[in-house]
Amino acid sequence: MSDVTANIAIGAETKAAEPAHGGRANPFLLVPITLFFLLLGLAVLRSPSLMTSNGIGSAIIVATPLVLATYALMASVIAGRGTVDLSVGPLIGFVNVTLIQLHGAGILENPFAVFGYAIAVGALYQFLFALVVIYVRVQPIIVSLSGYLALSGINLVILPRPGGLAPQWMSEWGLGTTIFSPVLLILVLATIGWLLFTQTAFFTHLRLMGSDERAAYTSGVPIYIVRIGAHLISGCFAGLAAITFTALISSGDPSQGTTYTLIAVTALVLGGASLAGGRGGAFGSFLGAVNLYLITFVLATFNFGAVQSFVTSLAYGTILVASLLLTLLIPFIQRHIRNFSPVLYFVTLSVIALGVILHATNDYQNRAPAEAPASEAVVRLEPIAPQDLYVSPLEVPAVGEEEKALRSFAAPFVLSSLLLVVIAVFVRIAVSQSDRRTIAPAVVVVVSALVLLGAYLMRQSSVEAPAAPAVQEAPL
Amino acid sequence: MSMIMQTQTPKLGLPATIIGLAAGIILTAIGVIFGFIQGLSVQVIILSAIATLAAFTWGWRFVLGQFVSEGPPLAEGEISEARKAWLQFRPAIYGLIIILLAFLALSLTIEGFFNVWNVISLLILLGIIVLTRTLGRQFQENRSAFIGIMVLSGLFSIGAMNIDGFASSINIKSMLLFASFLGIASVGQTLVALLGGLDLSIPFIIGAANVGLLYLIGLGVPPWLAVIIVLVIGILLGVINGFLSYRLQGQALIVTLGTGFAISGGVQILTSIGTAYSGNVFGQVPPWLSNLAAMNGSTFGLPFPPVIAIWAALALILILGMRYTLYGRYLYALGVNRTSAKRVMISELAYWVMMYAISGFFAAMTGSLLLGWSGGGFIGVGDQYLFLTLAAVVVGGTSLLGGQGGYGFTVIGVLVLQVLSSFLIGIGLDFEWQQFIFGLLILPMVALYARSPHIRTQI
Repeated sequence: MSDVTANIAIGAETKAAEPAHGGRANPFLLVPITLFFLLLGLAVLRSPSLMTSNGIGSAIIVATPLVLATYALMASVIAGRGTVDLSVGPLIGFVNVTLIQLHGAGILENPFAVFGYAIAVGALYQFLFALVVIYVRVQPIIVSLSGYLALSGINLVILPRPGGLAPQWMSEWGLGTTIFSPVLLILVLATIGWLLFTQTAFFTHLRLMGSDERAAYTSGVPIYIVRIGAHLISGCFAGLAAITFTALISSGDPSQGTTYTLIAVTALVLGGASLAGGRGGAFGSFLGAVNLYLITFVLATFNFGAVQSFVTSLAYGTILVASLLLTLLIPFIQRHIRNFSPVLYFVTLSVIALGVILHATNDYQNRAPAEAPASEAVVRLEPIAPQDLYVSPLEVPAVGEEEKALRSFAAPFVLSSLLLVVIAVFVRIAVSQSDRRTIAPAVVVVVSALVLLGAYLMRQSSVEAPAAPAVQEAPL
Repeated sequence: MSMIMQTQTPKLGLPATIIGLAAGIILTAIGVIFGFIQGLSVQVIILSAIATLAAFTWGWRFVLGQFVSEGPPLAEGEISEARKAWLQFRPAIYGLIIILLAFLALSLTIEGFFNVWNVISLLILLGIIVLTRTLGRQFQENRSAFIGIMVLSGLFSIGAMNIDGFASSINIKSMLLFASFLGIASVGQTLVALLGGLDLSIPFIIGAANVGLLYLIGLGVPPWLAVIIVLVIGILLGVINGFLSYRLQGQALIVTLGTGFAISGGVQILTSIGTAYSGNVFGQVPPWLSNLAAMNGSTFGLPFPPVIAIWAALALILILGMRYTLYGRYLYALGVNRTSAKRVMISELAYWVMMYAISGFFAAMTGSLLLGWSGGGFIGVGDQYLFLTLAAVVVGGTSLLGGQGGYGFTVIGVLVLQVLSSFLIGIGLDFEWQQFIFGLLILPMVALYARSPHIRTQI
């Protein structure tokens, strides 16, 4: 008996000691990061127009509701007890249709009123949800199932078929012609808000409650308040998601609920969160949601004719299952790579992806006049000949004078990228060798460098863009 | 005997009695006023007023009496009398107030709502609550089944009183027909839930089987062979589901959803290869398959479709099998405690995969039967079963955490959902209102029996 207790004690000690080794490393980010860069590379190679102001702008508009819905789900899933809020999609739909109807009746005009209304409705619903979970003590998944059915029913009552008009100021957001739209601002503010929240003691309580509610209760965490707080945050995100969704479609749609629920749950799991509670983060959820967007985007660039939606569904399911199975490998990876750092991994892959983006946007443009049919094929979504399909993404053109000029032009970028990787590795090693085990300064340095570089590149390509005839918006 | 006598004459405190009387009188007064407004005959009004008052007072005394503890008197001056009454009778008071408020609101808003039949319906509802709170205590094991049967009979009698033709043989037949589709689709969900898993791929397999069967028949495969092929493929898909989700049991929800997407997409791609009509398949459904599931089918000359008989036989086999065979007992053993089940050499993997295989088989079977019912293939035919199977399992009383419940409970759940939906259609509600009310009713129905204990008792 004492052996067992001793073993448990040792196990607990090693468990407690482990996180200190890898800093705040989260190996569950490995799969989403890899998938993200794979998909990003493929997307850019298939359709370089993604990397224009228009392309990124519309990507942000389309992906933001999804990201925010995933955040909403994340906040309540962390709270544990298997709180997979199936009703998040219908809730977004509910805010959407009531917003449209109230606007149609001339009640909600002011932007502040609209924001206040959306967030208040989301938070109020989640508050009721939390109260039911706490005091009626029914399994949360049943509460959410109940809410799903009730809300998707009432949505159809409020607005029987898609229609209505969003406020004028809001429908302009949905055009997606520029990167720096208000939608991006909402996304950034929501993300920053969550990241600030993770610094609080409240968040620590939340994670403790999510992974072991009884332990939290016995150690004096006010679990009722924590649960209500988690749901309130979730409701706020759901309200914001509804606003961006309204901006995206510029009207009301009562039947999007099912889709959003399923997609948001999928994105959350793809992002490495645990549906059992206690584990999940904004970075992973963001990547998961963006991955789903990219899957749809990449598949849209292939032309499968009439079976397009079936292929999308097939690929969607397969990638979902495959990435879940990959998470089973994580214990092995953890055993062999002690100091895995998602940030370092992210930086390395992002440098590679940057190279791919440069290749796709610059090389293709230069080659475009010579191979006009090929570039048009992407635009018109005609069938692509098999040889193009397999060869062209990785084809390297013969080196000409222009190429040489381009290469000398690109040399500083390559050098600075390499430098970046070296700095990142150096900083990483330095941090892991030092006493203070925080990687935050390094993250700040690396990310800001990346952002600067990205902004510079964006400016370059936007200057070059008018000169290149091949860059057109691919209809999605 | 003396115990029963004691519980039948409970002593209520003074405040509780006064509140009860006041509420009853108010209710009766409302009834009388509405009766006069609607110009009913005086006899009916007097009769219903007396009935309302008597039933309410009796219900009040009887329900609240259950909460009176016969312990030693409390120390004086601790809590005031009113506060104590409030603390003791809180749940019952909440329930009664909510029902009465809903009744009042409906009477005020809907013209002609307040009639004798609706008052009787209200009394039946109150009776259900009273009975579940009193007699339900005798059924520690099968409380949810008891409550389910109470709700079922209450709903059915309310429906039969309020709706013309609700209790006619045609309506009962159609209710049973749709219940058997849902019931067969929920077999897998129940078994998987007993192990603590979920299978969201059921609707996709139903749709895929529906389209795939018609496609095979259209290709010229003999129909009996096509059905067998479809069922075998259903089992195979279930086995794949089981193996994929075995290591990811916490995420079974999402794994099966993923395989569901893949199956649905894959089957549609397969069936649209070489045809101009993507996603649409054409073929002649054989008469025996139509007879199996159509409304006008007959079983050995008896005028009801064989699928009802199939469902009944299936339910019997499953209920008896899970109660008396070793397989059934092992299933419960695994659901309750994995570790101890493993110690007595029960293979978790084998059972997990087997249950998913059964789930795939019955989903494919539902898809095939639905083809016989509708006569045309449609991939979205199973969509509504995504949450309905789950709802049937939950309303029936099978715990989603595993180890508690059984197929008999799910049968009750299926019937409750079917009668409820038939009732809502009968009173003229659209699909969206039905869904709304479904959603609102699942929660209290589950809350009647499936409340988890307070956290402080779990430590």
